[in-house]
Amino acid sequence: MAIPTFVRSSDDRVVAGVCASIARTLGVDPTLIRLVFALLALAGGAGVLLYLALWAWGSRLSPWIAAVLGLIGISAVLQALGLDNRVVAGIALVAGGLALIWRRGGSFGANAPLSALGVTLAAAGAVLVLADGGVHESVLAPGAVAGSLLLIAGPWLWRLAVDRDAERAARIRIEERDEMAARVHDSVLQTLALIQRHAAEPRKVAAYARRQERELRTWLYGDRTGGDSGSLVSLLSEAAADVEELHGVRVELASSGDCPADEGVSAVALAAREAMANSARHSGSDLVDVYAEVGGETISVFVRDRGNGFDLEAVPGDRRGLSDSIRARVQRAGGTATVSSTPGSGTEVELTLPRADA
Amino acid sequence: MRRRVVLVDDHHMFRSGVKAELGDAVEVVGEAASVAEAVPLILALDPDVVLLDVHLPDGGGDVIINAVTLDRPGVRFLALSVSDAAEDVIAVIRAGARGYVTKTISGVELTEAIERVAEGDAVFSPRLAGFALDAFRGGEHVSGNAELDELTPREREVLQLIARGYMYKEIAARLHLSVKTVESHVSSVLRKLQLSNRHELTRWATQHRLV
Repeated sequence: MAIPTFVRSSDDRVVAGVCASIARTLGVDPTLIRLVFALLALAGGAGVLLYLALWAWGSRLSPWIAAVLGLIGISAVLQALGLDNRVVAGIALVAGGLALIWRRGGSFGANAPLSALGVTLAAAGAVLVLADGGVHESVLAPGAVAGSLLLIAGPWLWRLAVDRDAERAARIRIEERDEMAARVHDSVLQTLALIQRHAAEPRKVAAYARRQERELRTWLYGDRTGGDSGSLVSLLSEAAADVEELHGVRVELASSGDCPADEGVSAVALAAREAMANSARHSGSDLVDVYAEVGGETISVFVRDRGNGFDLEAVPGDRRGLSDSIRARVQRAGGTATVSSTPGSGTEVELTLPRADA
Repeated sequence: MRRRVVLVDDHHMFRSGVKAELGDAVEVVGEAASVAEAVPLILALDPDVVLLDVHLPDGGGDVIINAVTLDRPGVRFLALSVSDAAEDVIAVIRAGARGYVTKTISGVELTEAIERVAEGDAVFSPRLAGFALDAFRGGEHVSGNAELDELTPREREVLQLIARGYMYKEIAARLHLSVKTVESHVSSVLRKLQLSNRHELTRWATQHRLV
């Protein structure tokens, strides 16, 4: 609750620039304001007092000087309007009391103590006004009670509402920070600890770091990543992360298109995982490239390394990985697996599957 | 002659890592951590190649390219990024970057990529190749410029091999082409990425993130 304030006009002034600055604040002609003050000056000098009060306020003098001058000025106006002295004194007391009460409420928050002096002044003022009979009691009573309650309680209610909003916003912020902290503690700090412990093993360190990077990225961009959960690309990226962690190699995954994972697609993804693991174990290369392409009629996945390669004819029949996990698995799903390898320049496994939904 | 390179990335650690990996292969003449630092630096140094993070605290890499390209048309840009949003990557490519590689690239590969970009050729990581294939896949062409809106079968083949992790030399051997021809196919795809108004391109970029 900012108290409206103004700075005296220094360029457009007749006496001290008070009228001009009021006019600027209200957006009216300064001459009009000056006329009002001139008329008020005729009402027992009230205009002069009010002018002095505003000048004191605008000059950053003690607010008490401004308040006292203002009160006397307004009293003079009310007297000039024909109210008798007791009513005027009552209204002045009520105004002073309310000012004290509001000041507390505005400055010190909801738990600020009620200004005893303010309440006393306001009550005394009300008694003066009402007991005098200068105003029709029957008309004034219900409205006056409601109005004065609102005047007294208003600043606190307002302050309470503001505080509650601020408190709720703060609580939400804290909850979010807690979730972030938990996440960072669970994964990132653990990974950093692992990295420190295995600092002498660069492959492990790289694998930990890449695993963590993937996790963090999934969490940060989760709902906006390329593959939906349970799609070919998401299965492949999980497989890539696992192989990286288990075998300490880098797996680069590229894709064009994606499709939901049915039984056949899952079989292809599992076969691709086995092919990645094979490359990681046997090729001696530290990089495996995986590319998945989902076309209108077929799904293709390529797993490639630039490692030792091997002679296909010379593979012993008991190398279960290649025959069972890759070839047989894809064939059961209705697809084909082709392995091409040249000793010295690497191996590529190509998996194709006709699309079930095509 | 060693290529003169400027590094633009907001992570100091990453810049020193890249510098160490590049070693003596190129001459790193300047470093910047923001758009505001990078623009005057590039204008003053006029390097051969700028290695550019697609995302900086005060703007995208595309802002830098747009700010210097008129005064320094000889400077080539290579986007080097931890896989960011496809829309950011495509913005940098469309602003005029000659390629996009991921930050996990090895020092040797990066040196090659810088050399290639300095020659005016394009550099596609497997990921960017997959993206281009996806963006130009099937569908009707809209802008009425079929030449820009579609990939030729040969370009498609080249991109598929890049996506599968083949190097230009290997692609050339496999398709019985010269390395120069492979390079010209890739440059042609880059030009289409930069100039095509194909609506799939922007739609794809906003829907996907490169992960």
